[in-house]
Amino acid sequence: MDLSTIMSRAAGLAGGAGGEALKRLQHVRLPGVGQSSVTDDPRTAARRWRAVTVLTEPARLQESLPAPLAAFGDRLEVRVTPAPGDRGAELAARFRGPVTEDEIGHLRAALREAKALVEVGEVLRVDPQPHGHRKPTPQGRTVEGMAQRAPEEGVL
Amino acid sequence: MKAVTWTGINEVSVEDVPEPTILNDHDVILKVRLSTTCGSDLHLLGGYIPFMRAGDVLGHEFMGEVVEVGKGVRQRRVGDRVVVNSFIACGNCWYCRQELFSLCDNGNPNPGITEGLWGQSPGGCFGYSHAVGGFAGSHAEYIRVPYADVGSFLIPEEVSDTRALFASDAVSTGWMGAELAGTGPGDVVAVWGAGGVGQMAARAATLLGAEKVVVIDRLPERLAQVRQHVGAETIDYSATDVLVELREQTGGRGPDICIEAVGMEAHTPGAHGVYDQVKQQLRLQTDRPAAVREAILACRKGGSVFVLGVFAAAVDKFPLGAIMNKGLTLRGAQVHGQRFTPRILEHMARGELVTEHLATHVLPLDEAPRGYQMFKDKADGCVRAVFTPNG
Repeated sequence: MDLSTIMSRAAGLAGGAGGEALKRLQHVRLPGVGQSSVTDDPRTAARRWRAVTVLTEPARLQESLPAPLAAFGDRLEVRVTPAPGDRGAELAARFRGPVTEDEIGHLRAALREAKALVEVGEVLRVDPQPHGHRKPTPQGRTVEGMAQRAPEEGVL
Repeated sequence: MKAVTWTGINEVSVEDVPEPTILNDHDVILKVRLSTTCGSDLHLLGGYIPFMRAGDVLGHEFMGEVVEVGKGVRQRRVGDRVVVNSFIACGNCWYCRQELFSLCDNGNPNPGITEGLWGQSPGGCFGYSHAVGGFAGSHAEYIRVPYADVGSFLIPEEVSDTRALFASDAVSTGWMGAELAGTGPGDVVAVWGAGGVGQMAARAATLLGAEKVVVIDRLPERLAQVRQHVGAETIDYSATDVLVELREQTGGRGPDICIEAVGMEAHTPGAHGVYDQVKQQLRLQTDRPAAVREAILACRKGGSVFVLGVFAAAVDKFPLGAIMNKGLTLRGAQVHGQRFTPRILEHMARGELVTEHLATHVLPLDEAPRGYQMFKDKADGCVRAVFTPNG
């Protein structure tokens, strides 16, 4: 096996590892570093409400659920409450039954997209965009894996 | 088109890359006239912010001409000469409505990375790693500008391209530090760092009514610029004890406002500097906070410290006791440029805020690797290397 093949395979593994690393880092609590609510045990995490605050009247969300959340159908329980002060509406959702971490990730992304659609009217895209040669290095693929996974991770 | 790319730690290249296209209704495509290096780019080059991919286009401080407009854009037209803020903000979320634009909820498509680091995600930024969105940067012939009605500003006729360029980030960052730290008439303001941001923080403090402004650095050419173009006093930290000097100049009180404009790679003479370097290289701390420590210790009781320099995560030997016991207000932010740019352009148009002297080295895009090397080494008196992607 030549060096370029070895590097390419290592890079491929690193891409998956980057996404996995970001997923696993959500469970790590280091002093002074943030963490996700997924640090709960899996059963509690699956049942926890995940929420975004949307700058809109609560009635707007109560009348019509944004498409990214509506796509989950009956699997989701959705709660809309007024946010304190002038902050709009708290839009929260959780699954009615057992879920996987990947499904929780899909819900995080859907909540963020729902918020963007209501507030801005569109979800900000970043690809495709200009870039130079992507050297197939493990570090590069790790970052790529993290970036691909990032919309579905975080504190929600 | 040609673009300047990050190709590895301390590696910058010029490559042929595809031209950007409109991806969202609120985008414009800008033909870049000027794009400048920024001190915070050095953290990317050095690998201190490890979320870059080889091939990423660098640059976040720029101005140019609108050449294409998305169908949702209302305020911009083809041919407009604009300066664009470095942070990408939607203008419609609660944070944007509070004019905290760099905290925009909708500007960063990769929130999972920074939420994991900091508990919440800031907005997106051009050319500043996948942690803040992975957007292509401005050291290129063309750039896509999302949310263009919010983040781009018409440049008044009487303001030159070079002067307007720095409204994008250096001036707006400096202005933010001076204003949000609470600078007002009668205040004594000390600024750590005489790069573009530090100089502009000092100028903003003067325009906001400060009685006395002092800028601290070690590079004689930058300190000379401060005296000549900014109208502030200077301290060379390599030649004197800064804390003693500031006490002496303020009747023993210390400055009312202390603004840090240095960031995570602060240089410090003596044992403190060696200590921070070793800990950072061993990854026992991510940032070298020497200027922040000094600002906190220098500040008068009940004063205000603003952190403008970019920091990534954790620091060591942070004087929390001084903050608490002296009753200090500590604040920081990435730049809320959209909040300050309109009035900055007015000051520029009146000649009260000049920036042309910062552009010490104006270079074609092909010479960007050399420009970055000079900028990093602070060689040949380089304060900012400015690129001209379209000649």
